[in-house]
Amino acid sequence: MKRNEIRKLNSAQASTTRFGIGMLTPTMIVLLVMTAYPLIFTFVYSFTDYNYLKGTEQASFILFDNYTKLFKNGYFQQAVWNTIKFTILAVVLEMGIGLLIAVFINTLKRGQKIMRTLLLLPYLLPAVTVALSWRMMLSANYGIVNQFLKSVGLPVFNWFMDTKTAFGTILVIDVWQNVPFVFLLLYASLQSVSENQYEAARIDGAGFLQQFWYVTLPNIKGSLALCALLRTIDTFRLFEKVNVLTGGGPAGTTTTITQFLYNYGIKPLDFGYGSAGAIVMTVLVLILSSFYIKRAMG
Amino acid sequence: MKKLLTLVLALAMTLSLAACGGDTTTTDDGSGDTGTGEPTKMTLILRGGAYGESLQAMLEPFAEEHNVEFEVLLQSFDDLHTGIALDAVNETGTYDLCMVDGSWMAEFTENGVLANLSEMGYSFDDDVIPATTTICMVDDDIYLAPYYGNVTVMMYNKELLSEAGYAPEDIDSFADLMDIAQKTKDAHPDKNGFLVRGGSADNILSDFLPHLVVHGGWVVDENNNPTVDTPEFKAAMEEYLALYNLGSSLDKDDIVASVTAGDTALAQIWPGWYTPTADGPADYTTIPTKLTDDGEDMGAVALQGVWCIGIPDNAPHKELALELLEYVMSPEVQLASIEQNGVPCRFSCLTDPTVLETYPHLETVCGALQTGVYRPVIEEWTQFTNILGTEMDNIIQGTKTMDEALSYAQEQLEQLMAG
Repeated sequence: MKRNEIRKLNSAQASTTRFGIGMLTPTMIVLLVMTAYPLIFTFVYSFTDYNYLKGTEQASFILFDNYTKLFKNGYFQQAVWNTIKFTILAVVLEMGIGLLIAVFINTLKRGQKIMRTLLLLPYLLPAVTVALSWRMMLSANYGIVNQFLKSVGLPVFNWFMDTKTAFGTILVIDVWQNVPFVFLLLYASLQSVSENQYEAARIDGAGFLQQFWYVTLPNIKGSLALCALLRTIDTFRLFEKVNVLTGGGPAGTTTTITQFLYNYGIKPLDFGYGSAGAIVMTVLVLILSSFYIKRAMG
Repeated sequence: MKKLLTLVLALAMTLSLAACGGDTTTTDDGSGDTGTGEPTKMTLILRGGAYGESLQAMLEPFAEEHNVEFEVLLQSFDDLHTGIALDAVNETGTYDLCMVDGSWMAEFTENGVLANLSEMGYSFDDDVIPATTTICMVDDDIYLAPYYGNVTVMMYNKELLSEAGYAPEDIDSFADLMDIAQKTKDAHPDKNGFLVRGGSADNILSDFLPHLVVHGGWVVDENNNPTVDTPEFKAAMEEYLALYNLGSSLDKDDIVASVTAGDTALAQIWPGWYTPTADGPADYTTIPTKLTDDGEDMGAVALQGVWCIGIPDNAPHKELALELLEYVMSPEVQLASIEQNGVPCRFSCLTDPTVLETYPHLETVCGALQTGVYRPVIEEWTQFTNILGTEMDNIIQGTKTMDEALSYAQEQLEQLMAG
């Protein structure tokens, strides 16, 4: 009788395992085909002088030549520095502004829904549309921003073609578009913080800042880490805005790693060199993200 | 139930994978005649803007006569290059006709991307401007046909030019350009004497090349060795910087808007950007070929950027594509394309009295097309422009001295050309 029950239990367990594997298999296949396969090939190509037009037949293994060339390249060094600087500034600004807005909206007694919808709009637009709209608004010649500055007697700028303004302008545009994402994630997290905790804090005499520091932040720190991780990965891959607005100029001040890879790997169809750049970029993202991943994993 | 669900999911996955890998095999002899009355589908990949749109507008009669259905892809400069290149490795390609920039010629012909038009029976007639065909050939073999006469010209604002005391025909030298820019800036400190095109490295370098030629320099020597750290290059750069300091750097749309709005006196443009009208505020003239009024006439300085058409070597309907190319290049179609902002590369079209009545600027273009210079025909041109354009931008923006930037560019370019 006991043996029978054990057998039944084992069989049920095996069936559950089989079901689990069955459910996982399609995902695993898709992951292997869409992620592992390209990643492995990118890695292999990074050790070759593969040019797309010449084909793989004419490609030969050149070991670490692409990596050596890459690290010696002054433009690549500038692109790496620009990307890291941009990512740190953008993530800090987006997190700060997003958190402020989320806390503010969360305290509203009325109009939360409409504010939430309105605030989300920039994030819903495609990056290229955002870039083109801002290009029109910031046009040095007929843009509304310069027209306004001129009308109030302030100096006007050649926003995208001046080394002093180009980087900052793209940063502002990126922050403008991505703050809503941070806001939405943190707002959802804030909604789950129990009102009892605030009430207890208030009874203990905590002010607004103390409530924020001792109640709000500890409750949403997981979401903050996740949000920072997602934004870091996304910002590190910044391409569309730079490509549409400056092409990496002026004087390389806005060149990001992806823009560098496009100019020196994709455009000349030098896929071996481009692959080496892509691998370096992936490693850099992993290093930058590891801090957040550790935090998020607890 | 669970098993059934797993089975259904696995089946759906298998089916979708099978569908993705589906193959549509068609038998076609290249003439496009399917023999069933079904229209032949031809795909054209062209440059966006007036270059490709003027060709697209000419397709209707051909489509009717040959029972063809066209799909036309209008692409940006970079996307067009990548699009043609990515399709080139397929056994049977997607595109029947492609628009090609002269600077890609070396890369495309060395890698067998384009069909040899001479072998297919195509040849140029005497009406085609000879200078526009040089980039289309490798030795005696034709690979491309010059469709859109694109060559840099000097755009000017009529009022500001007249204020500076010049008529278009008085602009004989680069010294005159400097004088006009200076006078405009002196009279109107809030306006630009001259505009430089910023943005990509290719833009910066392309616009600079006429200035380099007039100073007797070039970016490579006869053996394709880079020659950018030279006195001629530095002199040209000094003059270019002086012009830049009398204006600003803007992108294409802003340049045209600024000159037509009367905020800028002079700017170097491509004809496809702006079509002048008799009563319009701006017009263009040929870029002068002398440094000073009594200096040496360099003959050809304007940069040729003729948009050519070719047939990919793996085109699905090669014979029909050749017929289409011949049709598009015919004098009648070229003449008709002018109405669609086209700029033919034929003497008969550009000197036609009735055409010149409406489009007098085409006389200027005709002159410029006969005296233009091409970018060097080297396979590494894309990387070459990336390096040199970036270093020139460093000089213009003041982030590097001229000596630093040009010596670095020379070193990098030598490494590039050495492979």
